[in-house]
Amino acid sequence: MTRCTENLHVYGAAPSRGARAGAVDPITTEIIRHSLNSAANQMKRALIRTAYSPTIYDVFDFAAAIYDSEFRLLAQAPSLPLFMGTLNFCIQAALEGVGGVGNVSSGDILLYNNPFGTGSHPQDAALVMPVFFDDATIIGYTAIKAHWLDIGAKEPYCTDTVDMYQEGTIFPGVKLFNAGELVRDIYGIALANSRVPKAAAGDIMAQAIGVRAGAEALLRVVRRYGVPLFERSVEQMFDHAEASIRGYLERIPDGRYVARGQMDNNGVDAEIVPFDLVVEVDGSDVTVDFSGCPPTQNGPINCPLPSTVSASRIAIAMLAGSNESPCEGHFRPLRVITRPDSMFHPRSPAPSFLYGWPAMQAIDIIYRAVSDAMPQAVPASSGGDVCGLVWWGIREKTGEPWATGSPHPVGQGASSHGDGGTLTHISEAATRFAPTEVWESKTPWLLERVQLAKDSCGAGKYRGGLGIDFHFFLLEDSFVTTAVERTKLPPWGLLGGHDGRPNAVRYRRADGTASEIFGKITGLKLRKGDVLELLTGGGGGYGPPAEREAAAVVEDVRNGYISEEYARRHYPHAFADGTPE
Amino acid sequence: MGNRIGIDVGGTFTDFVYYDDETGAVSVTKVPTTPLEPEKGCLRAIDAALRPEEVNGTRWFLHGTTVGLNALLERRGATVGLLVTEGFRDILEIRRGDRAEMYNLFWTPPPALVPRRRRQTVRERIRADGAVHRPMELSDIRAAATFFREEGVSAIAVAFLNAYANPDHELAAERELRAAGFAGQITLSHRVSGEYREYERTTTTVIDAYVKERMSNYLLRLQRELGRRGFDGIPLIVRSGGGAMSFEEARERSFETIISGPVAGAEGAGALSRACGLGDLVTADVGGTSFDTCLILNGRPQLMYEGEIIGLPVQTPWVDVRSIGAGGGSIAYVDAGGLLRVGPRSAGADPGPACYARGGVEPTLTDAAYVLGMLGSGTFESGLTLNADLATAALGTVAGTLHIDVDETARGIMSIAAAAMANAMREITIEQGIDPRGLKLLAFGGAGPLMGCLLADELDMPEICVPPYAGNFSAWGLLAADVTQTKARTRIMRLDESAISDVNDLLRDMFADLAAEHQSQAREAVLDVRLQGQDHSLNIDVPLEDGRLTVDSAGLARLFADSYETMYGWRPDEPAEIVSVRATVRTSLPRRQLPPVSGRSAGRSPPPKMSAYSFRAKTVRDFSVVRREDLPAGASLRGPAIITEATTTTYVDVGWQIEMNPSGCMMLKNEGGRQ
Repeated sequence: MTRCTENLHVYGAAPSRGARAGAVDPITTEIIRHSLNSAANQMKRALIRTAYSPTIYDVFDFAAAIYDSEFRLLAQAPSLPLFMGTLNFCIQAALEGVGGVGNVSSGDILLYNNPFGTGSHPQDAALVMPVFFDDATIIGYTAIKAHWLDIGAKEPYCTDTVDMYQEGTIFPGVKLFNAGELVRDIYGIALANSRVPKAAAGDIMAQAIGVRAGAEALLRVVRRYGVPLFERSVEQMFDHAEASIRGYLERIPDGRYVARGQMDNNGVDAEIVPFDLVVEVDGSDVTVDFSGCPPTQNGPINCPLPSTVSASRIAIAMLAGSNESPCEGHFRPLRVITRPDSMFHPRSPAPSFLYGWPAMQAIDIIYRAVSDAMPQAVPASSGGDVCGLVWWGIREKTGEPWATGSPHPVGQGASSHGDGGTLTHISEAATRFAPTEVWESKTPWLLERVQLAKDSCGAGKYRGGLGIDFHFFLLEDSFVTTAVERTKLPPWGLLGGHDGRPNAVRYRRADGTASEIFGKITGLKLRKGDVLELLTGGGGGYGPPAEREAAAVVEDVRNGYISEEYARRHYPHAFADGTPE
Repeated sequence: MGNRIGIDVGGTFTDFVYYDDETGAVSVTKVPTTPLEPEKGCLRAIDAALRPEEVNGTRWFLHGTTVGLNALLERRGATVGLLVTEGFRDILEIRRGDRAEMYNLFWTPPPALVPRRRRQTVRERIRADGAVHRPMELSDIRAAATFFREEGVSAIAVAFLNAYANPDHELAAERELRAAGFAGQITLSHRVSGEYREYERTTTTVIDAYVKERMSNYLLRLQRELGRRGFDGIPLIVRSGGGAMSFEEARERSFETIISGPVAGAEGAGALSRACGLGDLVTADVGGTSFDTCLILNGRPQLMYEGEIIGLPVQTPWVDVRSIGAGGGSIAYVDAGGLLRVGPRSAGADPGPACYARGGVEPTLTDAAYVLGMLGSGTFESGLTLNADLATAALGTVAGTLHIDVDETARGIMSIAAAAMANAMREITIEQGIDPRGLKLLAFGGAGPLMGCLLADELDMPEICVPPYAGNFSAWGLLAADVTQTKARTRIMRLDESAISDVNDLLRDMFADLAAEHQSQAREAVLDVRLQGQDHSLNIDVPLEDGRLTVDSAGLARLFADSYETMYGWRPDEPAEIVSVRATVRTSLPRRQLPPVSGRSAGRSPPPKMSAYSFRAKTVRDFSVVRREDLPAGASLRGPAIITEATTTTYVDVGWQIEMNPSGCMMLKNEGGRQ
């Protein structure tokens, strides 16, 4: 549901149908809810077992979900949260691309990757399958948006694009499968535009297998219960999710909470890009207002509307959703206000390759705003980024092109529940970073160090999680793009907790010269013998350090999480007798 | 003489089965589990069921245990020290960076099994191809040994980067630790697993060091007590990856026993399928707190080569048994949004379901089944009598919140539990490209036969098998275990003729190692094969003769493509590569006769009837109530019926036909209809 007022754009999920939906029993609803989540899991399993790229099968850089005929989320497999709230946009845009819902038939699978419909860069390509009941009516859609290693951007990964055309080949909603048959022309175009066509081919087929598996699973559920009972149960499932999330939101004091975030730069110009967000709570309704954000940027840190909505949905669903797998009902209490032609609502052909980075910042800043209202409801800031590195090159011995990429864990903010850990950013909660031994078997590096960084945490009654130091020693010449944000705004503490260390990247040449610290760089050439260092941020602390138990300080020193010098500086009370213990 | 004892220690009950090889007679009993000293429950069962001369005449003692698992669950393992490569001190703590509860803002991993100060780094480095990048500094090992002594470390795990490709540094570290006087357990990562992925291999190595002492002491105590009772046969324990190993080996390789318990049931299902020609099966093992399901194809449970327990990866063969928190004791409640939920919280054995009248007040699956008449009169041979008023009162609390009556609530609880179990069965079959409608359902465990008809209807399955001794089937399954041992090596190579020759060389070495430890009868090999560039590989069973492959590279490529097509629905034509080679030796215990069906003739008098709810007819019907032992081989009976036996109750809905198979299996055939 979309409307524009005073040049602002308001987006929210359609409201409950209430009594019009018809009565249904709470038992069938629970059974159908389970079955839909199980169906989404089957999609995920099929995809990861057939995918070619480690970004999919190991890192889990994808989302797999099932929607009803009105593009409402029925179930999403545990996968990339940042894609969570975007697939309804993808499905609708893909259908428009092929001329509308009247132009699809059973067995069709659509390919769509326009950033302004997916919310992502062109590499995040959606496959959409309309699910026909008895070959006649569409009862829903299955969709998988997955990160392809390359689809022809100016570099395999970019932080400095100036328009959409530098970011990859666009498929504006086309049939990849027509009535079950692969459309060779489209498939051929996709492969011809990839630097790693073998991986692209494998990943496309894996996605197709996944959406088909989901379609079959959805049909099994609908056939078992019949369309009318299925549809009534789905309405109740949505209402149930809405009631549960509203129950939580009620507890947040009403008010208007403003918080400021920033991007290190826009990838092209050097200046910091600050932005303000407003979270307004009224009863159990929440509005996230991005209208105060800067205009569309010259560089690729613009976040197309689907991802702006998704970031807001993730923030609210994870805050208030009782750890349940989300469905449409979870999105209903939320409205998102944006201003067209701004950083959080850019229009074509604005560059948006790094769309995910402002989206991640939006999540963090929403929580920063919520912390004003209810500090115990959210953790302090984490390292605040996925700290992505994308590597490529040509192998010396074989002459074969290679490419790989991964997010990297950061220290998590401490909270009222205790110290923070070291995990991937919440926006990619299900993704995993690749094992050193797998990396070293495939890529020409040797990891010198993957270890927690002493003293990188924010001090507090509960301390933040530690950041990690990664040292990549190059065994062959390679290229790297570093997409690392939050090198200037340190992870903040809450309620008197201290800041953690911010993210940083630097390199050392074999001759001993070293670079300055940076965050975003595209296509940096590293030579054999060079070392790239990625130093991920530590989490912010929670509560005043003076309230930390002395025994916990001593334990941290003994385990080498913090140095004695750091401990004396931040926790002098643990040294009351001169020495710890 | 091949008399056998099988004892499976579960969370609630210790199940005992004794098999007399001469007569084929079987006796079963159940005693409460003694969690602190599990051997006491085992011995109590033996003392209650067997005469001393029977113990003395027993050739094999087969065991399934949760001792290792409990050490992990309760975090009561050894004080472990870990040696790792410099720069990689935090492999256990950094993990893979993911969240077990992905929608939980506050989720934090549980503390690592080894605290950071006892994770010591060593200057050394091996490259991925096995070349030494940096020689090892032995002084680091000596310094660590000194520190570990001060810390009271009783077991040391050594896990160096890329040790799977070259174990020299780990071996040298072990020698140096011994030279420095360390006398406790040492586990080296390359001995635990020859595969890559440092987090998974290091964790498995640490788990071994962590549980070894406890497992070892437990097995020694049990063996000593068995010996005192005159047992002089061979004691064996089930592996997580199926098959059994000697107690002696289990003390060396404790990490292989972690899910010994649930695997026993899967192994039994495989053996039953082979012995009775049941074909492909999916199991439904329903106990007090959990539901376990496993797919049996060609008479064997499906194997994986990595397991997971309490969120930790275990890099070892692992029978693919999936568990969900749904069982007879699962508690029903109404959630904040007004939906009825069942489990995963369980009333366990204490206080147990409300109808047990032991103080439980929350409604459980068992209460629901009893109120609906599915458990018959509620009087069991064990002496337990269920209390209907308490069950109704417990269900009433939930019914009141939902504004529906008690019967509807009870039906809802059964349906929700059945749907959750059916989803798990659907996932485990459909993932493998198998349609559950073509399989038989094998229902066992205390509450499995109760759920069988509901599960089969959820999945449109045509036939259910309720095996002999269904309530104690896991223990019965132990009796069929083969003695096995597997070794694996990661060696990535393009699938061509030279790879076939390399595989044969590897197999020769691995079988030679295995032969040194085992008197083997049968040799088997599995190759992990994948498309070049892919990561997930398929496990291909390859034909052998004299321990060498009988297929060439084209033949292997064909086997791989066949398997790929079954799994994913399309046939790849890209080049493939071999990732790992797995060699197994298997020694079967002497073949066992199937248990005779006791088959006292039922006489002609019609069985008594009682009212129970029919899920198919959606109304209350008269069910025949029959004791299983009153149904002789060849007998048949038309549902609806409730079949009672010592340790379980089978619910047979309308339209199911019961046929007593001479093998002792009770087969239920779907004749359709909802009359």
